[in-house]
Amino acid sequence: MRSRLLGVIAVAALVLATAGLLRTARVPDEGRTPLSVSSPGPASRTPWGEPDLQGIWTDPYQTPLERPAQFAGKEVFTDEERAALDKQRAGILRRDQRLERGTERDVAGAYNAVFQSVRPAGKRTSLVVDPPDGRIPTLTPEAAKRSQTENEYRLAMLEATETCKEKEPACSGGKYGPPSPKRAEMPPFYNTGRINRNDGPEDRSMTERCMGALLPDFGGYRRIVQSPGSVSILYDTGQGQGWERVIPVTGRPHLPSSIRQRFGDSRARWEGNTLIVDVTNFSPKFSYRGAREKLHLMERWTRLDRNTIEYSVTIDDPTTWIRPWTVKQQLIRQDEPANRIYYEPRCHEGNFGLPTMLLGARAEERAFQRGKGPDPATKDTATDFGNEGGVDALTGNGGAIF
Amino acid sequence: MANRINGSMIVIVILSAAVGAGIAMAVTRSTAERALGPARTPDGKPNFSGIWEANNEAYWDLQAHEARPGAVTQPGVYPAYDFARVPAAPVLALGAAAGVPGSLGVIEGDGEIPYKPEAAAIKKENGANWIDRDPELKCYLPGIPRAMYMPYPFQIIQSTNKIQMAFTFANAARTIHLDKAEGPPDDTYMGHSVGHWEGDTLVVDVTSFNGKNWFDRAGNFHSASLHLVERFTPIHPDAIRYEVTVEDPETFTRPWRIAMPLYRRLEPNIQLIEYPCIEFAEEFLYGHVRKKQLVKRWEGETMIIDITRKVPPGDRFFEWYRK
Repeated sequence: MRSRLLGVIAVAALVLATAGLLRTARVPDEGRTPLSVSSPGPASRTPWGEPDLQGIWTDPYQTPLERPAQFAGKEVFTDEERAALDKQRAGILRRDQRLERGTERDVAGAYNAVFQSVRPAGKRTSLVVDPPDGRIPTLTPEAAKRSQTENEYRLAMLEATETCKEKEPACSGGKYGPPSPKRAEMPPFYNTGRINRNDGPEDRSMTERCMGALLPDFGGYRRIVQSPGSVSILYDTGQGQGWERVIPVTGRPHLPSSIRQRFGDSRARWEGNTLIVDVTNFSPKFSYRGAREKLHLMERWTRLDRNTIEYSVTIDDPTTWIRPWTVKQQLIRQDEPANRIYYEPRCHEGNFGLPTMLLGARAEERAFQRGKGPDPATKDTATDFGNEGGVDALTGNGGAIF
Repeated sequence: MANRINGSMIVIVILSAAVGAGIAMAVTRSTAERALGPARTPDGKPNFSGIWEANNEAYWDLQAHEARPGAVTQPGVYPAYDFARVPAAPVLALGAAAGVPGSLGVIEGDGEIPYKPEAAAIKKENGANWIDRDPELKCYLPGIPRAMYMPYPFQIIQSTNKIQMAFTFANAARTIHLDKAEGPPDDTYMGHSVGHWEGDTLVVDVTSFNGKNWFDRAGNFHSASLHLVERFTPIHPDAIRYEVTVEDPETFTRPWRIAMPLYRRLEPNIQLIEYPCIEFAEEFLYGHVRKKQLVKRWEGETMIIDITRKVPPGDRFFEWYRK
């Protein structure tokens, strides 16, 4: 009971710590038309003659990254289909459903629907535009092997839990049995995700460690400010995990390959109205869908009209995918006064959840040693059970925030 | 007559030469002044865009101070003499690299920070508990003005209505609104900045602080009532005079000012390099709640960080000592 309580406290603390930051996840507009901007838009050029990308931008629509199987062969929705989808989606309880009090499933739902961003259905059935099937390309054999290694280790951490005993989807491919000896071993990879162990911060996800933001990023808001030779993008993304990016518009070569950065190294040039950004030098410490230091992005930011930027990014890592793939997204200009507030990225400053989670785990271990509690290995603190309220066809996972 | 004419002509020639030289000098000077003047935006404002860094010791202590042997010190063999302290355990292993450089300070006027008596006591405690209390060590957003003079470069991206500042430390950022912008509904670490031009000076009013920041590593602090007026004035194409009036009636008896130059980083390939300090501070913040202790260890209720050094093989000094 005590351990369960500690778990609840830990989750509640994380909720409180980040609650102030989650307001950015609100739905900006329920309408279909781009937000109207009452004040006159800026000129399409900056006073120094470069294309003007400045302002606050977001993609106000919900579009799946990959085309869901049920929409195979279909590139765009009709307006009627979007309306029908939104009507169906509005009926989903999502995480507002309380489950049996005191169970892991109930605790895992501590972030209820208030914290979720539910945006109206977009026009396209996938953000991925290339390959044409709207699906992320197949993993290379070596990436598939890496993914399998990670998955096996993750499943081993769950082996003694109810999740595996009850054959929950989270244990798919795993088995139920006594605690795995692998619990005492280091993961055979540099962990960035959430595993069912709490030995130290490295066992928790980058999001729980307030380092969840990555490039490429398709959510949240961006404030773009330009000066001659520089484009600054303040990303307000994740749970107060936004970050500041300065893109040099320069012909200078990339940083030496010995310098690896979480957000890579950006080099941009203007081509007509398009800002083309080449991003390399990513860090092995972070993983974008399995791609680490070999990740290479080619972004294109184009101001289509006063209210629209087309953002496209070609994502490549020959050690991860069998071919490059491209995502395209329309960012809609947001009203300045209504979005004037700078939501500072202060997840880390309020991160009482992470140490409390670790403290809770230490307390559970002590209780177990004294015969006063269950083996912590039998508890599941990694699975997101947030699907109970029904599945959203456009987010797949019921709109989980992680 | 001929002589007189010659004399006059000579005088005229000399005069013309002098005037000509004078004009030439004037032209040269004004060209030089133009060249040395600040970069300007298309609308004629000073253009602060670029990568800058303070080059002083204010991040250690805003006030004048002499050098000391360590960021953390303890009484030496003369416990009665405060000037005879020695480096304490947390920094001892770093030798002379862990000292604190002296400084003339950056506070205008008498160099004092006019704390209220109760605030002065807190400042003293802060200094004595630096490692436990300074938000910098935890990689918290540094706040303003502290972010402006930390020992890392920062970048100004100056547009017409907004000026963005990107800081190396903690990937912190601030937006200075030159157009009307109401403040946030909640307090912040980095403040809410609204700027306007007074001639060539950018004047920025900063409010909406949460009171969790410090000014420096000496424990100088403020409350959530902090109100800053910053002034950025070009003094050279590659230098800005940065002045801040600090007002916080909860903490100080009167407003006070700091001033310092900010220097342009002139390396042709300069760019901000990530300083991912959340990651750097994890062991510091959470190391004691690990299952297996890595750097820290527990003895009952005491948390210990051992400072152990192995004698390097072939080190003559230590080998002599062992003989």
